[in-house]
This record gives sequence, structure tokens and C-alpha cells, in this order.
Amino acid sequence: MAHLLPYPESPAPPLPPPRSINASPKSALLVENDQSLLSFLRRSLEDDGYAVRTAANSEEGLRLYRDCGPFNVVLIDYCVPPNYGFGIDYLAPLQKHGIGLAMAIRQIHPLQGIIITALAYRDAREVPRPLELMHIPLLVDISNFQLRSLLEKIEVERAIEALTSSELLRLRQFAEFRVRGLGRAARGRTGEDLLQEALMRTLIGAEDLQKGRHWNKDVDFVGHLTGAMQSISNHWKRQFKETEAYLISEFPVRDAEGQEQSPLDNVASEHAAADQRLIEQDEKDRVLTTFKDDPEATQILQDFLDGLKKSEIKSRYGLDERKYAATMKRIRVKLLGRRNGGGQGEKHDR
Amino acid sequence: MIDKMTHDERLEQLMNRLAESVLGLSDEAALAETSEVGADPEQEAERTRFVLRQASKALDNVTERLSNLGHTINSNGWRGGRWGHHFHSTCQTCGSFVSFTPATGEMRGEALDGQCPESGQFAIPRREASRK
Repeated sequence: MAHLLPYPESPAPPLPPPRSINASPKSALLVENDQSLLSFLRRSLEDDGYAVRTAANSEEGLRLYRDCGPFNVVLIDYCVPPNYGFGIDYLAPLQKHGIGLAMAIRQIHPLQGIIITALAYRDAREVPRPLELMHIPLLVDISNFQLRSLLEKIEVERAIEALTSSELLRLRQFAEFRVRGLGRAARGRTGEDLLQEALMRTLIGAEDLQKGRHWNKDVDFVGHLTGAMQSISNHWKRQFKETEAYLISEFPVRDAEGQEQSPLDNVASEHAAADQRLIEQDEKDRVLTTFKDDPEATQILQDFLDGLKKSEIKSRYGLDERKYAATMKRIRVKLLGRRNGGGQGEKHDR
Repeated sequence: MIDKMTHDERLEQLMNRLAESVLGLSDEAALAETSEVGADPEQEAERTRFVLRQASKALDNVTERLSNLGHTINSNGWRGGRWGHHFHSTCQTCGSFVSFTPATGEMRGEALDGQCPESGQFAIPRREASRK
């Protein structure tokens, strides 16, 4: 323990943007004394768009962190020696200085994303570490692209913490309206379900929708999540329609003598069933009824239902931007209030 | 084209237009609208952040649980369930099934019943201290 780094005593300030690496939007500190691994990890990080600072021992790593941190991510070798400048310390690999450095950095910035590289171990369970670092991401296998997944996760977690209150509220309302637009296809799912699904697919990170949605960092996080929610809700709708057609066409139909009829007799009509049309009509009417005392809102809603563009609606009723925005606000507040049981109308019953 | 749309499609179009209108709101307007709905904007915002963190945490928990049981799950191998509430995958070594629900953190599947029976097959002796 004598070689472990002292923990700073100053209280932890909130995580500011990186100070020193200004040219790149993403920065990484890599603390690794094995030259071949250092080159490999450095190249991997740079390929992922990170500007990388390197240190060969824990003291240099801490100094660099204090001077240039915080970083988007810090990669620390579990067995990095304390100081390489005074000759080879043969005991160093056994003394877990990477853990000491990780704890020192967490003392400076508790939210700093850190990955411990523990390639000497075959799996994470075998890596001894203190309780405070039990949930820290561990890189134990470089061959299966684990590094990229860990980096992606750290980026996403950082983005969640950086979301402002208004961004979070916009995301929530966006999700609520998208799910509401699904009608019966929502199958009991809520806006929160849609938001979580969007995040899960981001964390999974594959580019195929069925598996996940990679976050292309050219798009901001809010833009990415809203795009994901849009795509997922469309996917849910398609699934619902496919299943309904499947169920109707699969329903066994036999004639009076028990003989199965032609499969073509079972092809579903392209028109919705009468009972379904009534449910949909009912929901549409309920939305319009909510605004029966607000003619401007009723007009805008009716025009939305008819597929008119914003400019067409504004010119049709001579609404200026301010009046249009105010009416939209009334619509959103009333519909969301109704949904939340806010007493501004009947509670929506899905 | 519009005339051929069902009530369902029209309602969807209406709600999607409202969803899009939210994205154009200023910070102040977003906060003010939440207040007008009768909710505390800061509480609602933090609740939303919690929902996001919860999904991330659920993935961490299932990954850790499986790792403790010796199963190997490809982090990109999770697939969404057909009805969206859960994600599922299989152990790359023994093929046993596992699923979890982000909203509740609930985990299911035979992979959780015990240690991966094949986990020792490709064991590599610990190389601690031999690398440096």
C-alpha cells in the first residue's frame, strides 16, 4: 500500500469540459507501460476519434489528469507501475497501482468515465478491486471489440448526465406524443418504455434496428434519441399491423361440412374492421371534443388530421407565428394534462 | 391520399406533428409548459433522467450477473423482444437463454439457473505478473 497514490482531499467539483485537448471533441488519457499495448490501445482510441494523451506510470498519469483533465474517458492499466523513471520495479506489477490511480481520479471527478485494462485476467470476476470500484468497466478481452462497447457506454452515460432539464422534458413529451399516436399498437407501452427502448438500442449499439442503433456522434444526443424513438415507434406500428393480418389470415375457416375453405377466402381486407374503425373514430373524436370550446385549437387539430402543413394552416386562418405557437401550446398542455390526470379534461384511457 | 387514410393513421399523424412541435420549443417554453400541466419541471426532468439511468443500470446488472455465472454474452448480441418490453440473448458458450426488462430490471431465463456448464472449457490460466 505504500506505493499507492494519496487521495486528494479537496471536494469534487462538477465535471467540466476538457481543458487541454481542444482540437478534438473527444479526449482520452491512456495510462499503460507496456509499449505494444499502448500502441494498440492508442490506435484504437484514435480510430474512434479520440485525441489521446499517454502516461507510462501512475504518477505521470495523475499529474496529466490534474493538468489536463477531465477527459471523455481514462484507460488505466490495472498493473501500471508507480514510476518508471527510477529503473524497473520488479514488484510493481503486483501492486495494483492502476486501482490507486482510478480511486484518486474518482476523488477529483466522481463522474469521470474510467476503464481499467486488466488483460492479465481472463474474466472480470478474477480482478480484485475495492468496493468503490466494483462497477467500474473492466477490459479483459481485447480481441472481441469489448473496448469499443465500453467506450460507447461511457459516452452514452456521460451524455445522459449532461442532458439539461429542458432537453429531458422535450424528450419526455416527444415520447408521450409518439406513443399516443400509436393508439392500440402501443399495446400498453408508455412514453417511458419508448425512451428506455431508445436508450437500450443505443447501448447495444449495433446499426441494425432489430439489434440496436449506433449513436453517430455527428448528431447530438437529443437528436439521436428522438430519431431512435421515431424509428422504434414506426417499427412497433408495423409489427402490430403485420400481426393483425397474420391472426386474421390464420384463423381456420371451414364450410358446413367441415372442409377447409380456400386460403384466399381468409386474406384480410385492406380496410380496418368495423369495430376497430369505431375505436379509432372514438379516440379521434375524444381529442377534438377536448377542445370544443377552443375554435382555433379545433381548426389546427382538424387540419393536422387532414395532413395540412403549418404554412397552409397559418395562411388559411390568418394566424401569425405568435398566435399559432400559443394555440399549439394550449393543445400540448391540455393533452398532456389530460394524460397526466391534471384535471384539464377527462383522463385518457388507453 | 389523405382521404384514403384511416382514422388511426390520421390520429397518428396528428400526434406525430405534436411530438415534432415539442422539439422546437425554447428551454424556457419547455419548462413553462411542464409547470402549466401541473408538474414540477425539475422533478419531471430528473425522473426522466432516472428512467434513462435505469435502463443502463439494468443492462449492467444482467451483464454482471451473467459474468458471475461464467456465461459469455456478446454485448452487441442483445435483441429486442417482439413486443418491446424485454431484451434477450444467449450465452455464446453454452447457448442458454436469458432475457431482461429495462423498466423493471427483471431477469429471466435458464442462463440464470446456474454456472455456465461450458465455462471451464476454454479456461486460460491467469497470467498475472507474467506480462510485465
